[in-house]
Amino acid sequence: MNGEYIHTLLNKYWGCQTSPSEEKELQDFFLGENVPNDLKCYIPLFRYRDEQQSLSLSPGFEEKIRKQIKKSPQYITIRIFAPLLRIAASVALIVALGISLFLISKQDASKPYLTETYNDSEAAMHQAAFAFEKLSRAFEISESVYIKTFQEIDKLNLDWPGMDSINIEKPAPRKKIDL
Amino acid sequence: MSNDKFHRIILPLSNQFYRLALSIVKEQTEAEDIVQDVLLKLWNKRNEWDTIENLEAYCFRSIKNLALDRLVSDAIKKTDSIDAEIESRTFVDTHSPYQEIVQQEQRSIIYQCIEKLTENQKLVFQLREIEGMNYKEISQSLGITEDLVKVSLFRARRKMRELLSNFENFDKNEW
Repeated sequence: MNGEYIHTLLNKYWGCQTSPSEEKELQDFFLGENVPNDLKCYIPLFRYRDEQQSLSLSPGFEEKIRKQIKKSPQYITIRIFAPLLRIAASVALIVALGISLFLISKQDASKPYLTETYNDSEAAMHQAAFAFEKLSRAFEISESVYIKTFQEIDKLNLDWPGMDSINIEKPAPRKKIDL
Repeated sequence: MSNDKFHRIILPLSNQFYRLALSIVKEQTEAEDIVQDVLLKLWNKRNEWDTIENLEAYCFRSIKNLALDRLVSDAIKKTDSIDAEIESRTFVDTHSPYQEIVQQEQRSIIYQCIEKLTENQKLVFQLREIEGMNYKEISQSLGITEDLVKVSLFRARRKMRELLSNFENFDKNEW
């Protein structure tokens, strides 16, 4: 190869003006036998390129990847990519937020949690009186039943002090029988 | 993007991903782990592929970020010299012992030069010199502007030229 051409090419290379094919040309030249003495110092660079380009993964690597890919489970993820879906989701979110705010603002803060069931006070009074009458009647009935029960018990003439003094003998503990 | 594209386009780029990871972590097993992690994560996120503009560039960026993260998290102890295992893999041809020594020395020189580059310059240098990418592809792969790619590459080459020219231990006549 022409020495002058190589020098020109090499200067272009240092100036980053060479194409990948010209750089390959330089590499082939420097890996050859006829490198001039003044250019021999650049041999390590082009030899390094050559060495590195030949480096490769261990032989079974690609097959190992293919096997692992086959084993890996298929994950299904749902994503919203389409712009229309994004817009629809945004609109739905805004509408839901608006309705919530409207409902919250509509609530009367002064309104108590427990509210009256009657608007007419007289009707309310009438119903309350009726309820109290019912309650009073229930008390009267229970009182009469109570009195009647005690009268019946008195008629039996039970000896209450004697009943209180009755001692109930406890049963004797069982003897153990040795077999 | 169909699953088929993963097998047709992404998987065949595995070696390029590996070389990028290796240039950062400098450890073969770790670099393979990084590529594997990124590819499996990408596969599990296949429902999102349509939202990724450039899947290849996305992979390169993921590889770069994961590799740098691993370095930062002290998972790997970065060393100045490249892994001995890599060195043994790079030369498999049948050179004489003398040639082997010369090449060993050349390798040592270039690794020392590369270590003097900044992280950005190293990455740009790797993608341009080794993978032969154009400026646009590099900018997309690293997530930087094309102007920064050009500047980084220019500075990297200039530094490399200076370092190689000034290397005093060269015995030019023996090369």
